[in-house]
Amino acid sequence: MAQKAKAAVVAKSKKDARAEAIERLRTDWTETEKVILRRRSVRLYKKEQVPEFMVKRILEAGRFAPSAGNCQPWKFIVLREPEIIDGITDTVVEITKKFNAMLDYRKPGASWRRPLAKTFIRLRHNDLHPVPFGAIGMISEGRLGLWHGAPTVILIFKDIRGVSSPELDCGIAGQNMVLAAHSMGLGTCWVGFAKLAFQYTKKWKERLNIEYPYSWANSLAIGWPKGEPDGMVERPVHPVDWYENGTKTVCE
Amino acid sequence: MGQFSFLEKIRIPTYNDPDQVEAGGVEFDYEKCSGCSICVEACPADSIVFQDKKPYLKPTGENECIACGDCVAICPEGAIQVTKGYRYTGYFKTVDQGDLKPPRLFGDE
Repeated sequence: MAQKAKAAVVAKSKKDARAEAIERLRTDWTETEKVILRRRSVRLYKKEQVPEFMVKRILEAGRFAPSAGNCQPWKFIVLREPEIIDGITDTVVEITKKFNAMLDYRKPGASWRRPLAKTFIRLRHNDLHPVPFGAIGMISEGRLGLWHGAPTVILIFKDIRGVSSPELDCGIAGQNMVLAAHSMGLGTCWVGFAKLAFQYTKKWKERLNIEYPYSWANSLAIGWPKGEPDGMVERPVHPVDWYENGTKTVCE
Repeated sequence: MGQFSFLEKIRIPTYNDPDQVEAGGVEFDYEKCSGCSICVEACPADSIVFQDKKPYLKPTGENECIACGDCVAICPEGAIQVTKGYRYTGYFKTVDQGDLKPPRLFGDE
């Protein structure tokens, strides 16, 4: 009987604790939410290197990411060698220059390129969406850096034999690493453009021994930010269809 | 869902036509701005120009603002606001995006 009463008291206090936690949520963000909501893509870094153990901790956050069938279809490569980081950057700049010369129809007198460019855009609509299309020009002219001077870079390669969608799993692992880094006061930026150096040349694949079953997924710039780039900003709301109690509502 | 005409599904917009591709936008509060120019450095789209010690959004055609808010967040004076997101037409028509809002707690629901 006493035991039953004790269990009832424990259950009640657990329930109270949850009610209190919910009340706190009404007015405060959790620490995790703060990291998520305040994270901005950082493109201004100090030269100072990130301590090695912090990078290893970031990799741990990636290692413990969920993946389809727990197949962990990723390979991470850490670059802290300026010669390699700058070398890949140079290769990407060279490739963007070629693309830009072929495709950019926006400059005066270049509108004759438009039909060809639009054909390429149709074929590679993700790579040549207006945002990366503009970025190709900016990278080729040195108006946008690749890894923005970050002293540490993590390259993420996917195991193409992974369960379901290995690229998505690499994205999940990557975002785990990004959030871990920001929680430590570091800055990060997703850098997909480095793909060009692995897609259109053999040089860097050979140098870094990238071979079957690995294929490019994405990369992260990591470093100490200049200034205080993290903070909350406004974003567009996206209508969400919500089905409940036999009706559909749209909430934003 | 049902938001595209046949033409919109197939037509690739012309990127330098402001009727078809509209950049995002920010506004500067020049009373708060100290002229430190960190926003110019932070902008990934190279859309901010620094003139007479103040930042300005580049004119249409040169401005490729993606409304990322990096300038807003890094500004030490809180002098910048994103005023509109980018909008594209045709194949890249922007859909299912509403007004700009900061993170919401929904605490009073």
